[in-house]
Amino acid sequence: MSAFETFLSAREIWEVPLAASIVAGALLGALGVYVVLRRTVFVSAALTQVSTLGLVLTLLVEERVHIETEHATEQLAVAILFSVAGALVLGALRPRRLPAEATVGAAWVTASALVVLGVSQLVHAAHDLGGMVFGNAVAVPAGDLAVIVLVAAVCTAVHLVFAKELAFASFDPETAQALGLKVKLWDAVLFLTIGLAIPVTARALGALPVFAFLTLPAAAALLLKVGFRPAFAVAAGLGILAAGGGYVLSWIWEIPTGATMVALAALFLVPGALLRRGGG
Amino acid sequence: MSPGPLVTLEGATVGYGRRPILEGVDLSVEAGDFLAVVGPNGGGKTTLVRSVLGALPLLAGRRTLRPGVRVGYVPQRDHVDPVWPFTAGEVVLMGRVPALGPGRRPGSADQEAVRAALGLVGIEALAGSAYGELSGGQRQRTLIARALAAEPTLLVVDEPTNGMDPSAELATMDLLRDLHEGVRIAIVMVSHRLEAVANYARSLAFVDKDQALFRVGSVDEMLRPEALGALYGRPVAVRELDGRRLVYPVNGQVRR
Repeated sequence: MSAFETFLSAREIWEVPLAASIVAGALLGALGVYVVLRRTVFVSAALTQVSTLGLVLTLLVEERVHIETEHATEQLAVAILFSVAGALVLGALRPRRLPAEATVGAAWVTASALVVLGVSQLVHAAHDLGGMVFGNAVAVPAGDLAVIVLVAAVCTAVHLVFAKELAFASFDPETAQALGLKVKLWDAVLFLTIGLAIPVTARALGALPVFAFLTLPAAAALLLKVGFRPAFAVAAGLGILAAGGGYVLSWIWEIPTGATMVALAALFLVPGALLRRGGG
Repeated sequence: MSPGPLVTLEGATVGYGRRPILEGVDLSVEAGDFLAVVGPNGGGKTTLVRSVLGALPLLAGRRTLRPGVRVGYVPQRDHVDPVWPFTAGEVVLMGRVPALGPGRRPGSADQEAVRAALGLVGIEALAGSAYGELSGGQRQRTLIARALAAEPTLLVVDEPTNGMDPSAELATMDLLRDLHEGVRIAIVMVSHRLEAVANYARSLAFVDKDQALFRVGSVDEMLRPEALGALYGRPVAVRELDGRRLVYPVNGQVRR
């Protein structure tokens, strides 16, 4: 039996994780168009760390104060809370005394350091943390898939209904505000969707793939010069291909899943880069 | 629409946060005005104009916008990131967004307004071109068209000729004059280059926060060497040549 036949015969094992990866890839790919165009790529990296910090604090509370937080739903709720709060703060940053990226960098390193410190204090739950922090796309519970699908549906609906407001407020906030648009509100809505998507998908895919999916498919789509609205569909499609293809290939070749997905997503940059190089 | 000024500032203190930039500003923009707000870089011109727009709350005083007045705004060209993959037509359509409201899609009337606005600035053929691939002058026309798509009675334009060669600068100023005279839109224009606006504006406002200076009057009143010397801190000469005003700095001391 070939490796691919073995893969097909094990459908019960991979169907939920593969579906979760594909939905996450599509969602993050589409949201990435805003992340890349608004030049906030490192906000997503910082948010992944901030949501991880939420998870670590939850586990610490469980161990130290003996408050029951071991349920996955509660852990996810805390991670979402941290990520959304972080998204609203970091997304609202405008360069004043310091460039915005300095604050984003400070948030990233501080959260990363606190995660390391928090993990060092964990006695029993440290072994659970690997899967929570770095994801485990090979084994995703059906409940997590349902949450990812729900979040993807909410984010898609928000972006479809308020597409023109989100685009205008992001593209030219100065004029949008001058014409009466509530730019801070639309920024908050945008970063709320990003802050919601990151912890939910990070549980399935892991921190590195989430960061990669918020960057690479959108960058690849934008390099292809398909236009603004089509870029969302193309980036979502590339996210699906990278997540689904990466999952299957990692299974067949028995290599790390998240890294395979990221490497495949990076490959999608090549056609657009060649197109630009050729002056297209 | 009822008569009276389109927008007024009375005893206004403008600034950011709690930091006043200009105090005691009285300004009135009438229908048919072409007001140029002039002053050195960093002198508070954009702050003043953002307060006129209502985008920046006043720290003190009162702003009154006449009911029914629609305001169009053209930001500085380099404040708009050309990396966004919008077409010129999509950029112009954004001018319709505030009036449409959340959840409503642009209809045929909006598309028609976009076509008309692009036609007014002479770039109808560029509707499908990528904004980021347009020349500086074409981008400026696109941003003016976006403001026109909102069918404004008052057009506020921030430094429209920055970084342009003399030919493009002249073309942009001629376009604004045509809009002012042909479409009968009141214009408030910010510029740090007095010579660029001296032949187009009807009134001038001098702004310089470092001198706590805010003065407004007709072009003839304001283009006197004494007033210009006070604004720029050095003697400035005004001459007429072939029907055009020339404004240029000269050597010497300012008499205060």
